[in-house]
Amino acid sequence: MSNLVDIGNLSVQAGNRTLLDNVSLSIAPGERVGLIGESGSGKSLTALAAIGLLAPGLTASGSVQLAGQQVIGAQDRTLMPLRGTVTATVFQEPLTALDPLLPVGRQIAEPLRRRLRRDGRGPSRAELDAKVQTLLTQVALPDPATRSRRYPHELSGGQRQRVAIAMALACRPQLLIADEPTTALDVTTQAEILRLLAKLVADNGMALLFISHDLPVVARVVDRVVVMQHGVVVETGPVAEVFSAPRHDYTRSLVAAARSFDRALEGVA
Amino acid sequence: MSAIELTEDTGRSRPSLTLWVGVVLVGLHVFIALLTVVWTPYDPLGMTGGRLEAPSWAHWAGTDRLGRDFFTQIMLGSQIALVVGAGAVAIGGAIGVSLGILAAFASRWLDDALAATLDILIAFPTLLIAMLVVAASDEASLFTAILAIGLALSAIVARLTRILAKRVLLLDYITAARTSGTSWPGIVVTHVLPNIWPTLAVNFALQFGLAAIAEASLSYLGLGAPPPNASWGHLLQEAQGTVYTAPIGAFAPGLALVILVVGINLLADGLRDFADPTRSARR
Ligand SMILES: Nc1ncnc2c1ncn2[C@@H]1O[C@H](COP(=O)(O)OP(=O)(O)O)[C@@H](O)[C@H]1O
Ligand SMILES: [Mg+2]
Repeated sequence: MSNLVDIGNLSVQAGNRTLLDNVSLSIAPGERVGLIGESGSGKSLTALAAIGLLAPGLTASGSVQLAGQQVIGAQDRTLMPLRGTVTATVFQEPLTALDPLLPVGRQIAEPLRRRLRRDGRGPSRAELDAKVQTLLTQVALPDPATRSRRYPHELSGGQRQRVAIAMALACRPQLLIADEPTTALDVTTQAEILRLLAKLVADNGMALLFISHDLPVVARVVDRVVVMQHGVVVETGPVAEVFSAPRHDYTRSLVAAARSFDRALEGVA
Repeated sequence: MSAIELTEDTGRSRPSLTLWVGVVLVGLHVFIALLTVVWTPYDPLGMTGGRLEAPSWAHWAGTDRLGRDFFTQIMLGSQIALVVGAGAVAIGGAIGVSLGILAAFASRWLDDALAATLDILIAFPTLLIAMLVVAASDEASLFTAILAIGLALSAIVARLTRILAKRVLLLDYITAARTSGTSWPGIVVTHVLPNIWPTLAVNFALQFGLAAIAEASLSYLGLGAPPPNASWGHLLQEAQGTVYTAPIGAFAPGLALVILVVGINLLADGLRDFADPTRSARR
């Protein structure tokens, strides 16, 4: 089977500033890939480029194939049907990624209705409601019946991120892109959301592009990692290999930092 | 950014005193306008008293040059002011919001072109644009007054809508909606319009006041709804010649207009506190 995402020598420019330089990255169906790098290294840009949502001021060159469709230079109209079917995205900050004026249940119903229509079913309101409840149960949102009527600001950060994940699941994508989905959360919630994501990806047989600046977090949910620095891919390989024998200086520093952090934690414990 | 700040502020603030005073003043005009549809104290066209009588129990605002009850005419003026205000805001709102949304979503050059055009149009006084529209139509009527003022307002509404929509389009939840495959029309209806609506609604209220003033000005210049439509502007114009002998003729319609406009502005201010999330969060 061909790759869901195939990025080949992608460069992205803002004016004459190079933001991404010759980035290559591919994701096969069912594969779980981690994209690691410090803040500003171009991780989010890579993910946005993959679905053709780069900001208007940016120019891209190279090749980006999404389910076999060339993204660079493609019309928005051509890409729209791929977004939400091939990929769905969970963002870092669930508070701003949800519309503040819509109850969360209705926000989940939006992509859900779109998918059901595409599958040739115009869902009734009751069917839609029931499916929203099912999704909220799947992401383990407590008391989904009441919470689906709540507005984003009435939920906790972890609950909001569960809602955002439910929205992505409603699309039933082949590839879930999670852009630092746990960065904005406290440590306990982080672990819960991480477990949830890993379980949902496994249960649904989705591929995963997990973006993080945090090596240990990535290592827990992916098979393969791609390490980025200053818009360049510096290392890529199976997670165990990169972890145990990092070849690039930058990766080595990431691993060392993670180890010393672990040691510090153990020291405290 | 309004939408975000709302989230930091749970419950919206209560309707304020400002809002209530506004509701009462505007409500008074609405009540009178509706009342005049079925009843007026006197026949508005009948000579029911002497000429230029001073205010009395029989004629609260006196009579005009032809002996007609002046209070009746002022009451009828409410109808014109409200109809023109509502009609102009409806036209200006529909055109303005559509243009503004179009500009916000348009390609760079079309947006720049629209923005520049709007800036030029806004530099013209509302009344001047309205006069041009009336001049371009065959004769002045109630409808041309509404259309003229509506068109003049549409530029202001369009510019505001464009700015508000562009701001919302930068927010994360728009990107999130796009990543899940929401179409542009879907984004406008589901996310953009609901999020800019509170601010637009307040602005519409203010435009309503401007429209009432513009209508009075057009009628004063003889470019508004022609008689027998009893516009306050027309009454003012008629009273001009007798302003020293019967000042009530100029004072009363002016007062009616002031009450309406002040009421609408208070209503808008109250609405802003009540409905616009940014204000309640900033307090
Ligand atoms: N629309 C844009 N215009 C100009 N520069 C941008 C734009 N978006 C991102 N950048 C820059 O690109 C770099 C990479 O950004 P990003 O991919 O968001 O980093 P991260 O790895 O933290 O996700 C940053 O230096 C950022 O400032
Ligand atoms: Mg990022």
